[in-house]
Amino acid sequence: MSNPVRMEHLLPGGEPVRFAEANAALARNQGAGDAALPHGALRATVVVVGPTDSLPQAGEALRELSERVGLRAILIALGTERSPAVEVNGCAIAIGGLKPQYVNNAVAALRLSSLPTAVWWRGGDPGMLEGLAALSDRIVLDEASAPEAGWKRAIALFSHAAFGDLRWARLTRWRALLANFFDAAEVRETAGSFDSVRICGADGPTARLLAGWLQTSLEGVARLSVDVTTEPGDAPIREVSLGGPSQELTLRLAGGGSCVKAAARVAGARAISRVVTLGDQRAATLLSEELQVRARDPAFERALRAIV
Amino acid sequence: MEITNPLYDSLRIEQAPGPTTLVIFGATGDLTRRKLLPALYHLSRGHRLPARFSVIGVARTEQADAGFREQFQESLREFASMEPAGDDVAASLAERLYYLSGDLDDPGLYRRLQARLEEVDGADGVLFYLAIPPTAYEDVVRRLGEGGLASADPPRWRRLIVEKPFGTDLHTARALNATVHRHFAEEQVFRIDHYLGKETVQNLMVFRFANGMFEPIWNRRYIDHVQITAAETVGVERRASYYEGAGALRDMVQNHLMQLLSLIAMEPPITFSAASVRDRKMDALLSIQPIVNQHGPAPVVRAQYREGWVNGDEVPGYRSEPGVAPGSMTETYAALRLQLDSWRWAGVPFYIRSGKRLPKRTTEIAIQFRRPPLEIFRRVSPTTVAPNLLIVNVQPDEGISIRFDAKLPGTRMQLAPVMMNFRYGAQFARDVPEAYETLLLDAMLGDPTLFARHDFVEASWALITPVHQAWDAERDGQMPSYEAGEWGPADADGLMARDGRRWRTL
Repeated sequence: MSNPVRMEHLLPGGEPVRFAEANAALARNQGAGDAALPHGALRATVVVVGPTDSLPQAGEALRELSERVGLRAILIALGTERSPAVEVNGCAIAIGGLKPQYVNNAVAALRLSSLPTAVWWRGGDPGMLEGLAALSDRIVLDEASAPEAGWKRAIALFSHAAFGDLRWARLTRWRALLANFFDAAEVRETAGSFDSVRICGADGPTARLLAGWLQTSLEGVARLSVDVTTEPGDAPIREVSLGGPSQELTLRLAGGGSCVKAAARVAGARAISRVVTLGDQRAATLLSEELQVRARDPAFERALRAIV
Repeated sequence: MEITNPLYDSLRIEQAPGPTTLVIFGATGDLTRRKLLPALYHLSRGHRLPARFSVIGVARTEQADAGFREQFQESLREFASMEPAGDDVAASLAERLYYLSGDLDDPGLYRRLQARLEEVDGADGVLFYLAIPPTAYEDVVRRLGEGGLASADPPRWRRLIVEKPFGTDLHTARALNATVHRHFAEEQVFRIDHYLGKETVQNLMVFRFANGMFEPIWNRRYIDHVQITAAETVGVERRASYYEGAGALRDMVQNHLMQLLSLIAMEPPITFSAASVRDRKMDALLSIQPIVNQHGPAPVVRAQYREGWVNGDEVPGYRSEPGVAPGSMTETYAALRLQLDSWRWAGVPFYIRSGKRLPKRTTEIAIQFRRPPLEIFRRVSPTTVAPNLLIVNVQPDEGISIRFDAKLPGTRMQLAPVMMNFRYGAQFARDVPEAYETLLLDAMLGDPTLFARHDFVEASWALITPVHQAWDAERDGQMPSYEAGEWGPADADGLMARDGRRWRTL
C-alpha cells in the first residue's frame, strides 16, 4: 500500500477526471461506439480492490475479458488518499491510492444497480470485505500470498454474499477429474478405504484448499491423512494422489502444463489412463467463469471452513 | 442401492456418465466424420466423457483400429479446428477407439461385436448409434436383439440412438417402432432430433417457465399468430437419393418444426422431468387439427426451386441437380397453417414454412402479439404502430429478441419499432456446445428429455401423412416453383394473405 500509485500502470491511456464527474464520463464513453463496448451493452460491474502492485496485472486481465464481454471495470488501488487521482478510459475507471475506509463509498457511487456487481479482491485489510459484501453480488478472493486472513473474514460473511476464489476456480478441472474417477463403480465401492491424499505444487494455499475439499467431500466415507508439499515452479498444483491400501488415483500435469494425465489403479479392476486438457487457466478466463456463478458455493464454503 | 458419487457438486462439476462404450454403426460415414467424432473430442476436452470410455466403429470398409484412429484425427483437423499436429487429448481419446468391419446383415458381425465389447474398457453401458441409412435400421435392431446385445442386467445398460427419419409415413414409423420395441424398451431408445439439442430450443422452456412475465400473455388473448421458419440456402447437395424420397415436409416439418411448435404450444409441465415434458409436448401435438379434411383445400403449399442466384452464385434448379429425376415431384419448399384445438390456442394460427435455396440460412420462431385494443397514437403519429413481436432465433446467432414501439426523439409524437436483443454468444462469452455434444451426453446419462418419443413421432406422421396422400392423389401433377434465392412461391404469401397476414421479412 505504501508504493506510489502510477496511474499509467493502473489504467493505460486513462484521462484524469474528478471523481464527481466519473459516472458522467463513463456513461459518455459507453455510448461512444463499438470501441468502448464490443457488444453494445454492459453485462456486469467488476471492482478490483487491492494494493497498488497487484492492480496492473488485474487490469490487464479485465481488459482482455472486456474484449469478450461488456464490463464496467473499477480499479481501486489502496493507499492513504482522501482525494485520490481518478482516470477513465472507455468503460474502465481507476482510482489511485484511496484510503481503505472510503472504498465502500466509491463502489456505492460507481456501481450500476441494473447490473450484477462482482468484487475481485486482491488483498488489503479484510475488514473491508464486510462493506463490500453488502454492495456486491459476488466476491472473488485472490490474494497472491497469505490469503488466510481474507479467508477467515470471508467465512464470517458467507451468509451475506456469494464468495469464490480464483485459487478455487483453478481447481475446478482437478476436482472434476477426481470426481470422474468416482464414476467407476470399483472406485466408489472402495471409497471407504482411501486413507491418504498427497498434493505437490508451487502454491501451498491452493493445495490445502484442494485437500480441504477432498476431506469434506469424503467426510463420513473416508478419513484422509494429508501430505502437502510445496515446491518451486509455476504450477500451483503439479500432482495429486489419492491413495488407499489397494487403490491409487493419480493426476499429474503433462503436455508442458496444458494437460493432466489421469490414472487409476484399483486391485482387481482394469486400470484407467487418459490425458485430458487442463483448460485455460489465465486470470481473465477464470474470472469470466466466476462471473457466471451467481449462487453461493457450498463445496467451496465447506472446504474453506475445513482449512481455516 | 446405487452408491452416489461423493465428489460431485451441482454448481461447478457436472455429472459425467458412468462407464460407456459407444458403438457407431456407419463409422466411416459423413455423420460420423462431421458430427459424432468432433462431438466426442469436444466432450473429452470439456471433461464430460467418462473415465472409462471406448468407441467401437462398425462399417463395411475393411480397416484396422489404426485406420479408424487416423480417420478420427483427420475428422478433428477438418471439422473440430484441431491443430494439424494433433494434441494430447485427441491422442489419448484415439487410443480408446476400435473398429470392426463387416456387413450389417452378417450375424457373425454381431458375434464379433459381442466379443469386442468384452475386451474394451467401459462396456458396462453400451450405446448403439445408428448412423446408417434408414433402410438398414430394422435389420440392425433385429440382429442386435437376436444377438443378445440389446439388454443387460442393471446397473449395466444398453441404449439405442436412432437418427431421423423415423419412418417415411405413419405406416412405416409404426412398423419401425414395433421392430425397435420388440428388442428395446422405449426407455432404452433415443430418437435424435438435433434441433432439440440446440441451446435456444432448450432455452425455450426456461424462457417460458422460469420467467413470470411471459406465461400470463402466452395465449390466444394476447398472441395473434406464430410463424416458424426454417430456411436453408443449400440445395439438395449430395443427398439427392435420400431427398427425392423425402421432400421438405418429411425432411424438416414432420420432425424439427413439429418439435419447435410443441415447445411453443405446450402447457407447463408439472416437473422438469423427461416424462412430464414429453407428455405436455404430446398434448400440444395432439391438439393440432387434421391438416387435410373434407371442408375445403388443405392449407398447405408446396413448391420446388428452379434455377436462380443464391449466396453470390448461379445455381441450377432442383430437377437439374445430380441424382434428381427430371420430372421429380419432390417438394423443396412447404408452408402450412396449423390450428390447435386447445383453450390456450383456439383461433391462433401457427404458420410453418421450410425450404431449400432460400435467400438466407435461418431458423426462427416469431410470436406476433395482438395490437393494443385502442390505437391512441393513430391521430398524432404519422407512423403506424407495429405489433409487438417476440423472436426466438434458433440458428444462426442463437438468441431472443423483442420488438416494441418507442417514441422517436424530437418534439413530434412519432413512433418507431425498436428491438431488445439477447444473444447467447454476446451475453455469456462462452462457447455454445454443438447439438450433438448435448445429445450424445444426454443419451450416455440416460436422460431422454431432448429426444423424440415414439408416440410423438407417430402423432406427427399422423398429421403429415394425409398431406402426402392428397398430393399423391392429385392427377394433374402440377408442381409450383420458386426462383432459387427468393422467399418461396407466391402461393405461400397467399396462404398468409387469406388471413390478412404476411410472412416476416427475414
